[in-house]
Amino acid sequence: MMLIRTLPALLLVLAMAARPANGSAQTPGPAADSALEAATRELASQIRCVQCQGLSIQDSPSELSKEMKQIIREQLAAGRTPEEVKAYFVARYGEWILLDPPARGLNLAVYILPILSLLGGAVVVVVLVRRWTRPLGDAGAPDAGAGP
Amino acid sequence: MCGGRARRLRMEADSVTGAVGHTAVALALALSCYGVIAAAVAGRKGSAGRAWHASARGAAYAVFLMYAVATFTMVYALVAHDFSVKYVAQVGSRSTPLFFTVISLWGALEGSILFWGFVLALYTALVAYGGRRSKQADSQRTYATATLLAVNAFFSLLLVKPANPFAPEFPVPLDGPGPNPLLQNHPLMAVHPPLLYLGYVGLSVPFAFAVGALLAGREDEGWIRETRRWTLVAWGFLTLAIVAGMWWSYEVLGWGGYWAWDPVENASFMPWLTATAFLHSSMVEERRPGMLRLWNLCLVVATFLLTILGTFLTRSGVLLSVHAFTRGPIGYYFLGFIALALIFSLTLLAARADRLGRGQGRLDSAVSREAVFLVNNLILTAFTFTVLLGTLFPLVAEAVRGVKVSVGAPFFNRMTVPLCVALLFLVGVGPVLPWRGIQPGVAARSLLVPSVGGLAVALGSVLLLGVRDVYAVLAFGFAAFALLSNAREFVEGTRARRRATGESWSLALARLVRANRHRYGGYIAHVGVISIAIGISASSTFRQEREATVRPGEAVEIGPFAVRFERLWAREEPHRFVVGADLAVLADGEPAGRLDPRLNFYNTSDQAITTPAVRSRAGGDLYVNLLAFERDGSSATLHVIIEPLVPWIWIGGGIIGLGALIAAWPEGRRRRLIRAARRPGADEEGGDRPPAHEVASAVAHGAVS
Repeated sequence: MMLIRTLPALLLVLAMAARPANGSAQTPGPAADSALEAATRELASQIRCVQCQGLSIQDSPSELSKEMKQIIREQLAAGRTPEEVKAYFVARYGEWILLDPPARGLNLAVYILPILSLLGGAVVVVVLVRRWTRPLGDAGAPDAGAGP
Repeated sequence: MCGGRARRLRMEADSVTGAVGHTAVALALALSCYGVIAAAVAGRKGSAGRAWHASARGAAYAVFLMYAVATFTMVYALVAHDFSVKYVAQVGSRSTPLFFTVISLWGALEGSILFWGFVLALYTALVAYGGRRSKQADSQRTYATATLLAVNAFFSLLLVKPANPFAPEFPVPLDGPGPNPLLQNHPLMAVHPPLLYLGYVGLSVPFAFAVGALLAGREDEGWIRETRRWTLVAWGFLTLAIVAGMWWSYEVLGWGGYWAWDPVENASFMPWLTATAFLHSSMVEERRPGMLRLWNLCLVVATFLLTILGTFLTRSGVLLSVHAFTRGPIGYYFLGFIALALIFSLTLLAARADRLGRGQGRLDSAVSREAVFLVNNLILTAFTFTVLLGTLFPLVAEAVRGVKVSVGAPFFNRMTVPLCVALLFLVGVGPVLPWRGIQPGVAARSLLVPSVGGLAVALGSVLLLGVRDVYAVLAFGFAAFALLSNAREFVEGTRARRRATGESWSLALARLVRANRHRYGGYIAHVGVISIAIGISASSTFRQEREATVRPGEAVEIGPFAVRFERLWAREEPHRFVVGADLAVLADGEPAGRLDPRLNFYNTSDQAITTPAVRSRAGGDLYVNLLAFERDGSSATLHVIIEPLVPWIWIGGGIIGLGALIAAWPEGRRRRLIRAARRPGADEEGGDRPPAHEVASAVAHGAVS
């Protein structure tokens, strides 16, 4: 499951990583898209904006979110791992600050149940299609549309 | 003298406004309750209760009239700044422009419930009106009217008790705070909510017809066509509403995105998913009476319940979000209503389950359109469940663990992007496979060109564009595959028609679509879905952004663009203070227009509301947001984003709307007669078959496709 990353976040990172190869000749400023910046964005898109409901601090245009993003940047630059930076925010704001609930305990339900529902439904579909395509036995009109 | 008298009269009129509105709503409540009883009696008596049928219809019209009066009264009160009405005192302001004053009708809780009731009453009256001429008593329709009137009664109750927009305000304030700044910052706020209500509320109608069919014992005939038509109409509006909402959030919220998996977005998306599932699975039952009937009924019921649940989630404030503007006792009313509706529907389904059959279908091959629809339904249902679970999970976690958790965009993207990609694949496969199935070889030949095209695009996105994410590659490949496969249907159909009739390409295409509105309307909707998928995939894959603080004369460079900051300006408006940045855009060094992103400071909000500036082209948008500025104009902080192909999301929404319109367009009388003649088993509206000579003359007039 870890392979399946959030699409926009990863794509963003990939797009950023791929860009030098495209031969862009931009002057590297303070906001240059370095590996640090990419890692900051990746992490910032997983941390919730405290003021605006539902947006990450990567997306939020608010002042506070920018400051929080700066904290991420500084901590990553200081050599902390993304997990340590997350823990830093969780310690201050609680689990709520993570847009992705950590996959343990009760939270596992939110990850597992959708997959189970899909698998269970798939079994039903397979059974139904098999029943419908089974060669007809002894009796019964081929077009047994309506129920009894 | 005269002026004083006029003012006194005016004041008396003002105090009357609230009373008129409240009386209208109270009468609507009484009339809906009466209508439910009258319609129930009419349904039981069948043809014997002709007068009751008419009376129930009359009640439906009267309820609509009352809602029209109440809604008009509220608009009048808003425009006249009658602050003796509580709702006006909450959302009105003398400095708000007239346009935004009028649309603040749906800007807060009470007004939006009133507007909801108005739209529901409109649909109820239309459903009742549809039965005015049926020669036999149409018990299914009458029960449907009863169901809708019962929902009407619930919303009228809300308006009379916990969400009374006409409650008096005392002492009467001289001015009000005006609507929520976010809701008065863009004209799309005049478009998105009405569309949303037309779609959302419209989904009550299929539910009502399903209930009507079950109560009337007519679930074995003809419920499906009426239900499907109404679902198409509501679904079309809902699609347009969701896309308009995405556009609004793109144009107003300033982060360059259009979908945040916010609970209010999820609330509108879940019924859309189940309605989409129904639009597909109902086609199976339409062709093969009895097949999937119970499942189709369940989908219709689930769709309705999801609309009410969505309203509860967003209107009760149980989940905090931008749109959840209230907290109060209204939540309990909703919970009670959801419980009642759920128990009622389940009981009804259980009571009729034995008669609903077990879906005895026959297929020649698993490679058939029926099977694709089953998989489509499986994915859409799992999708709905995932969104529902993710939306409700914070409540569950808080109740069980006492810990607040968030379930946000990263979760939803991770879980649903694979489902979206799979659906995109099915959009391409479905149209090619015939009903009941064929030998796989034939399907493979039909899919040859689309497959090659899809593969080429997928490879191209990897090799030429450097896309590395598996899902992005699959999305581009399947989008091309699906587009070609759906386009192939138009090309092949037109070619066959040309061979038969010798018509020109354009005429043959137009007549082809006209003669098979259902089918080609659906394919057009597919094209819209593909367009949206391409827009979303491209804008999230190739998005480039840059944030910089620049002084006048300096430019932010991104991709082929340079965005030069020229000067800062400010403007005082009656209801807000606006600061903007004048920007010159250069594309590859050539002047390419001007942009002026703004920040708006409303008196009533401590946070500035952004107005991003967007330079929109078919190839994509250049999106600039003003984040901050120095008061002396010496610098501005800009967020510049390149968003490839974003406009195709909005265009796709329009295409889907067009497809829904074509598919839902009423059939001409002639064509209806022909269809009845061709399928003797098929039922007609009201159950009466057309006289043979009418059919013969219709056929003679050449309506055959």
